[in-house]
Amino acid sequence: MASGAAPSSFRLNSVDRLGRQIDSVVLAAAETVFPRALEYGTNLLGDTAVVANMLEEVAATVSQLIARRDPPGEPTPIRNLPGYVFRAFVREVNRLKNKELAVLDAAIAGHTLAQRLADPARQLEMKLLVEECLAKFDFVERDMCWRRLEGFTWDEIGPVHGLSGHAAEVRFRNAVRTVKAKLARSRKPLPPTAQTAQNERLMPAMEADDDKGKT
Amino acid sequence: MTTKEKPEFNDEFSEAEFFGFAKSYLSEAFPNPQRVGCPPDSDLQRMAEQPVEARDAAASEHLTCCSPCFNRYMEILANLRRRKAAGQ
Repeated sequence: MASGAAPSSFRLNSVDRLGRQIDSVVLAAAETVFPRALEYGTNLLGDTAVVANMLEEVAATVSQLIARRDPPGEPTPIRNLPGYVFRAFVREVNRLKNKELAVLDAAIAGHTLAQRLADPARQLEMKLLVEECLAKFDFVERDMCWRRLEGFTWDEIGPVHGLSGHAAEVRFRNAVRTVKAKLARSRKPLPPTAQTAQNERLMPAMEADDDKGKT
Repeated sequence: MTTKEKPEFNDEFSEAEFFGFAKSYLSEAFPNPQRVGCPPDSDLQRMAEQPVEARDAAASEHLTCCSPCFNRYMEILANLRRRKAAGQ
């Protein structure tokens, strides 16, 4: 929106919610872009009150910036102040939206993990894997496991055993993979059910019938 | 941190799931109220600071079947980590 556009009927407070004063020139620029900001912000954030607060905060920040950079009475160095305020507002809305999405993603991931760990079959599988790993790991791999359990990073774990962080991580992953492969190989087939046992009993008779047919 | 953390061991098991389960399982599954075969605290301290296979193998193996010792060792490692972070 050009700075020479018709004055907007939208009004903002001259103080933001943090109590910071908004310069009158910046306030006028913010009110000029208010309709566009409202449209953009409401689409992403959904609440007009949040959008208005955010625009006021952006305007207050821009006011402080101008006050720090310009000696009083000097003309503002920002040629398109409404455009500048709008871009700053868009950046702030996007930052907030990304933060919101990141928090949501983390919550979903945590929920999924909790759900998986609550499944008794999964718990049994994990119990077998953990016990097998601890039984089969050598001293170094087990020590890596203890440290990782306490939240050490691989870069902290590696040097304890004279390895780089990456080498330690690869060694541990390979050890887990080997144990998993052994576990998968040692899975026994299920015991025969009544139906399969009955089928096995019938097999010789069926073969005899086939032989009769041939002769 | 220079090493890129990969969240997955593979498609089936995630690292977070493995360690999350292992920590809760080992901290509770092996109560040892009589503290049978537990190594002294000094052995755990020494192993946390500088693990040596010839000296610490038995203590490390004991942690796999004794929840009180496992929990104590986790405390020792947490303190060690805090001390290292404060020293940097």
